[in-house]
Amino acid sequence: MNRKWLTYALGIVAITAFLISLPFVLRSPYWVSILIILGIYTLLVASLRTITLIGVFSLGHVGFMLIGAYSSALLVMRTGLSFWAAFIIAGLVSAAVALLLSYPFLRVKGIYFAILTLLTAETFRLVAWNWKSLTGGNYGLINIPAPNPLTIPGLGIMQFESFNSYYYLTLTVVVLSLFLLYRLEHSKAGFIWRAIREADILTRCVGINIMKFKIINFVVACFFAGVAGALFAHFQRSLSVDYSSTFGTMMSIYLIVYLVVGGPERFAGPILGATVLIIASEFARPLQENQPILLGVITILIVLYMAQGIVGLPNRFQLWYERALKRINRNTTSKTSLGG
Amino acid sequence: MGISAQLVWQAIVNGFALGWIYVLMALGLMLIFSIMNIMQFAHGEVYMVAAYFAYFLSVTLGINLFGAIVICMAVMAGLGVFLERFLFRPVRGRYILAPIAISVGLTLILQSGTMGVFGLFWRSLPTLAAGSLSILGAALPKDRITAVVVSVILVLVLYLFLKRTKYGQAIIASAQDYEGATLQGISRNKMAGMVMAIGCALAAAGGILAGSLFQIIPTMGVLPMIKGLIIIVLGGIGSLLGVVIGGMLLGFVDGLAIVFLGPMWASLIPLIIVIVFILVRPQGLFGHE
Repeated sequence: MNRKWLTYALGIVAITAFLISLPFVLRSPYWVSILIILGIYTLLVASLRTITLIGVFSLGHVGFMLIGAYSSALLVMRTGLSFWAAFIIAGLVSAAVALLLSYPFLRVKGIYFAILTLLTAETFRLVAWNWKSLTGGNYGLINIPAPNPLTIPGLGIMQFESFNSYYYLTLTVVVLSLFLLYRLEHSKAGFIWRAIREADILTRCVGINIMKFKIINFVVACFFAGVAGALFAHFQRSLSVDYSSTFGTMMSIYLIVYLVVGGPERFAGPILGATVLIIASEFARPLQENQPILLGVITILIVLYMAQGIVGLPNRFQLWYERALKRINRNTTSKTSLGG
Repeated sequence: MGISAQLVWQAIVNGFALGWIYVLMALGLMLIFSIMNIMQFAHGEVYMVAAYFAYFLSVTLGINLFGAIVICMAVMAGLGVFLERFLFRPVRGRYILAPIAISVGLTLILQSGTMGVFGLFWRSLPTLAAGSLSILGAALPKDRITAVVVSVILVLVLYLFLKRTKYGQAIIASAQDYEGATLQGISRNKMAGMVMAIGCALAAAGGILAGSLFQIIPTMGVLPMIKGLIIIVLGGIGSLLGVVIGGMLLGFVDGLAIVFLGPMWASLIPLIIVIVFILVRPQGLFGHE
């Protein structure tokens, strides 16, 4: 037991050291920027997976990311609020919108919920596109300031103009958020969420207000989507909502792809899916506009042949290994029995 | 007010034509959903690929557009059967996300494949009919009329097929209760292949009609797919009449709201309508639980 704990602690220290040292190892602003985007998408996909715990899935998570991104950017630009307050408020605004929509949305199940969220994201995008006085319309928002410098005791003042320091900011926020989501999933609320997914009527019959827990789930997930949006806005320094931008329908598609390829059943799935696919598509740059074809083929193959996604690979290897072992044992025993 | 009668008239005519094209999309999506229980996310891509195929047939090979519609519908029906057999059948009965992921992968492949072949430009198909009819002093463009007539004929044929033929009744039976239908000797696999063929053929017709009224681009399929899904929510699963009325409603709202309310409120209207529907009548206009 003690030993296992030690292994865990060592593992966490090793991963932390690896993540902190990455910018120094890579020495390339380009790759650091890819890592920042990767962190933001990981948070998005992980919070998308949280919604799947109650047995529905959202095709409109980018809509709540959009609300977070624009709230944070506009608060900082129009009211001069500090980034550190604005990015939390952005999450709260996104959560508030989710709270308003949650009651009608969560009355329906399955495909209907997916259709509604898809429509919501597209509506938010079109409203942002047409509300020219607030969002700049088709010109988009430009010159979004970087986060204000932060004084860290012992380390001095930290500026966030460079990619490296923004990487550490993203890393901190994403790791903290993932930790919170993980704790929530393993709390009593998380237990009830999964109970709703497996048997909602039964859950209601034992006296649990399932609507309340569904709403909590949706609002929490949308809060983190809003935070991810705020991180995205102040990293890109500009926002636009045209069809092919980050907030278009295609982005919802990519989020689903990351989730399914990683494996929706385990917490590590979204992290692995986003990491593997984003880095793979960076290496597939020479394919240019055919890059999405590769992603599509990977997705279809994984769904057809690896139902549990990348996360399921270790289990699969173990299964093969055990089967092979059994076969060898059987062969040897049958030989010995023949010999005897 | 700066709204002229001419503008309103144009909005009504456009809304009517678009409404019928959305109905074609929604009927295909609804058939596929009620038999296979999946949301065919790539349905919009079938619509788009068909429009490009028609572009190839009519502009490059010089075939008449109506001939191209028939050829495209047949080819897309074949594509539908293929997709059902090799992509959707293996994942039936699995976790709800699996078929969605398949159709999402398909969307990526078809969309960027078309982009690779034809490029990300606007292109135009030949028009369905030139000139316009004059009714009570108002101009009625002939191409809009042709599009509506073709769509109405297709919907009527589908209605007669579902109500009057053995295979149509088998599809309805399988949609209502596939276990009971299986006991009567109706193969669910065959029905699934059939609805995919019908759905893709309808989407092909819709794509070509829309492409000829407006223009074609590899990203044109996403919006009609979303509209089709909204219509299903409005009309209720399993009701042909509900889908037709839902489609008309959405077409008119899309056409008129932008004239009267401006683009910002017009983009909010569909969401508001759907939310009101879900609160008041969750099963849709003519749907049943």
